[in-house]
Amino acid sequence: MCDEAQQRIEAYLSRLQKRLRGLNREDVHEILEELRSHILDKAAAGGEVTAAGVDGALAAMGSPEGLASEYVADNLLTRAAVSRSPLRVLDSLFRWASLSVAGFFVLVGSILGYVLGAIFILWAALKPLHPRTAGLWVSRDSTGELTLSLRLGFGSVPAVGRDVLGWWVVPIGLLVGWGLVLLTTRFALWCAREYRRMHLPRRVEAH
Amino acid sequence: MTTSYLVIHSMLVKQDRSREQESGDKWEVQLRKGCLELAILAALWDERRYGLEILRRLESDSDLIVSEGTVYPLLSRLKALGLLRSEWVESDAGHPRKYYALTPAGKQRAAAMAAIWAQFSSSMSTLLGPLTKGSRSHV
Repeated sequence: MCDEAQQRIEAYLSRLQKRLRGLNREDVHEILEELRSHILDKAAAGGEVTAAGVDGALAAMGSPEGLASEYVADNLLTRAAVSRSPLRVLDSLFRWASLSVAGFFVLVGSILGYVLGAIFILWAALKPLHPRTAGLWVSRDSTGELTLSLRLGFGSVPAVGRDVLGWWVVPIGLLVGWGLVLLTTRFALWCAREYRRMHLPRRVEAH
Repeated sequence: MTTSYLVIHSMLVKQDRSREQESGDKWEVQLRKGCLELAILAALWDERRYGLEILRRLESDSDLIVSEGTVYPLLSRLKALGLLRSEWVESDAGHPRKYYALTPAGKQRAAAMAAIWAQFSSSMSTLLGPLTKGSRSHV
């Protein structure tokens, strides 16, 4: 094999490796070795490995960024089959976001969902600690405008308005909070699946 | 006035058609996606193979064109799920190749999927019989 062919392979794999950072080290090693072997096999189809053959093999694989993005989206789905903990999902999403615009938007949406969910759960958890000040406060100002405020209960009792939910805050907060967390996880996984689906086999065009 | 109406009308009709086409494409893509996992498991049914062999097998025996970017990540996933195992084998070409084979769980899953497929496709064929005959006579 000529040096040029070797250099192109190494350049491609090192770009891919950079994008796979964060994945399990052993997995990354396996991926790189497997692809190296694939490129060599494909480039040598006509006998000798040539620079042109390597170029063809690399072109078929697409950009290292795109390929890394596929691996990371699949990794997210695999890990979700084992554990659906938000931390794991977010961990994978951060990696995905660094690789593709789609991943970035999914990350932003998921953070929003998880944070909202966490606020509701916190709201329910703080009620026993701040029984008189936490809750859903409704007040009407001088113009008759209705104001709703979700209070975590820090500070003093508000001068106006009243707590409309009372202890119902606990089940409602927990339910809505958990619901949001579960929905967000489903949303992230759905996006990953859709993303993978976009790169699917198409029918062979008539020869 | 009439022309602009006609232009808008034809735009709407075009849009409708492209939407129809799009949903047909989408359905086909989903169908293919659903089959890809089974196709890979089936390609490994009788012997272990490495990635490029699997790709070639899928291309020669089915009309699925599959890209490396689809198959290699999917192979890792099937392995992580315990349906495949892999091993590195030295080759005459001078570099090792990563061979995949079905695990007992993978074999079970492939057989179960194939049974469902056979049942499903035979009942669909019966149902679709009149439709496909009709299209043939039109051609």
